[in-house]
Amino acid sequence: MSLVGSCPSCGSSNIVDDDLYAQAQLVCADCGCVVSEGVLADDPVGGSDVSYSRTTAVTKQPCLNHRKGLERVKEICRILRLRLEIEDLAQTYFKQAFEHESFIRVTLQKKEVLAGCCVLLSCRQLNWPITIGTISCLLNADPALVGGVYLEMLKILNVEPSTLNITDVLEAHCREYKISSSHVPEELAEDSKDLMKRAVALVELAAHSWIVTGRRPVPIMMATIYLAWQSLNPNKLRLKFSLGKFCQLAKVQKSKPALARTAELKETLCKLGKEIPWVGETVTPGNVVKLVGDILEHRYVLLSRALRTHEDTMQAEHQSGPVDPPTGEMVQISERVDQTAAASSVEQLCSRNERDKQAEEGDAPDCEPNWGKRLLFAPPCVIHAKKRRVEQPMLEVTGDEEISDSEIDSYIRSPREVRDFIRTQEVLSSSSSGTL
Amino acid sequence: MDSSGDEALDIIITNVVATFRTRCHLNLRTIALEGTNVIYKPEVGKVLMKLRKPKITASIWSSGKIICTGATSEDEAKLGARRLARLLQKLGFKVRFSAFKVVNVLAVCSMPFAVHLIDFTKNNRPIASYEPELHPAAMYRIKTLKATVQVFSTGSLTITGPNVQNVAAAVEYIYPLLYECQKPLCK
Repeated sequence: MSLVGSCPSCGSSNIVDDDLYAQAQLVCADCGCVVSEGVLADDPVGGSDVSYSRTTAVTKQPCLNHRKGLERVKEICRILRLRLEIEDLAQTYFKQAFEHESFIRVTLQKKEVLAGCCVLLSCRQLNWPITIGTISCLLNADPALVGGVYLEMLKILNVEPSTLNITDVLEAHCREYKISSSHVPEELAEDSKDLMKRAVALVELAAHSWIVTGRRPVPIMMATIYLAWQSLNPNKLRLKFSLGKFCQLAKVQKSKPALARTAELKETLCKLGKEIPWVGETVTPGNVVKLVGDILEHRYVLLSRALRTHEDTMQAEHQSGPVDPPTGEMVQISERVDQTAAASSVEQLCSRNERDKQAEEGDAPDCEPNWGKRLLFAPPCVIHAKKRRVEQPMLEVTGDEEISDSEIDSYIRSPREVRDFIRTQEVLSSSSSGTL
Repeated sequence: MDSSGDEALDIIITNVVATFRTRCHLNLRTIALEGTNVIYKPEVGKVLMKLRKPKITASIWSSGKIICTGATSEDEAKLGARRLARLLQKLGFKVRFSAFKVVNVLAVCSMPFAVHLIDFTKNNRPIASYEPELHPAAMYRIKTLKATVQVFSTGSLTITGPNVQNVAAAVEYIYPLLYECQKPLCK
């Protein structure tokens, strides 16, 4: 039954819905007259709900920059000669990060930097050593920009990669130095394997004496390679070479902090060199390079001896029974020295330390202004601490005090001052526009 | 005195940021003309006003929102804010001091030992993050306290949090984690 009522030709009320070819029709059942018919095409007014591109598209294609970015990721991986899985992981990261709102509408340069950062992240995840400096060199971008994009990307992808291990990067960094016999004269040449080995030992020593923590890796690597090169054949010629000359020779760009790191490393080596029993002369940063080989070979023993000597000097200074809190370094060293011949002496030292610890349990250590001076090895900024400005005495405020009128008035210009001020401004602006 | 050590750790508050509202529209030109110690920034749409005592810098917007920075304690921030409101009142605006809130507190603290940052990051991943090439400190975010601590290898800490109590709690929270990483671990 329909709502129309009656058929116009015969007047019958027997009207039925009859669909012909999916077209809705109302037809009188008695005479066969078509009362009304629906539209064939049922499109809504103004075009269909689904857009043309969506109806005809097969799958969503990534945009041009997306594809270019993926190509760039591949390129960077090929240049760095990375494994296929690193390349795949980098591409996955790029696809994820690119579509995110923080990166979809940024400059093309930033998108390129994003490609580099994805490579960096996947290298970190799969333990391939590479520095941010290398990536920024490849991309020819500011390292600060690369750093910023990298951190943002980590936040978006919610990934926490492992921290860079400096010994791993050292090998790759070492290869950049053109010091082999094919590049430089024989007296200055050095085999990269020996250089690497010595540099790694120096880095480990530096890490133990607080030179590495918190610092950039490249200057440290440069300093260790320089000292390793000098110490492997400490003749007059090599010792004459300054860091700058060495970098020129090796065709590497010198970094300024490397000088400071070299000095710090030499200081540490001196502290250990003093403990070598067969060295008669005083060990200074000037002549310590010759002893580096010996120092590195016996470094654990020398470390324990140096700490013992330091402890004794501290004890003598304080002239009291209980010693300063024994440094945990002693206990740490003992585990490592197990294999060496000096193990017994170190064990004795450790048991003595433990007895000291127990004796000292009740005493509170004195609050010296600089705890760094007490220890033999401490971060250089602590040993050479900057003098703090004398702090101004803190005001005793409650927040709800009375505020006097005169005080507030000092911040307000009187009407006369306001007029003067306006006049001066007008004069200044007219004179500046006059000169222009 | 904090419970985790024999010595008390000095937490020095270096900056307190607070906001409040004046509940009325402010004419920045008037403030710039009649106030001393002001810097008018028409391109941004605000006025910077510096008070001498307590040493505070305030950013004043025409909507009546004011941000005070530079105080060294929460009470000082409140006093400075009230002074500012009083000053604006004297300039002729119908100011009502309301919605005072301390938004951020920055403090520094120094540990009496050095911290090995790589071990600290390894032990506390993923809450801690450290990129030596970008910044010399490891960053540790405490979600429950909404505080961020930057740990330097010298043992210095920089803590930012929503108020002084949270900052102190953050130091208490992180002290044992740092104590563990005092010396480089053996391989």
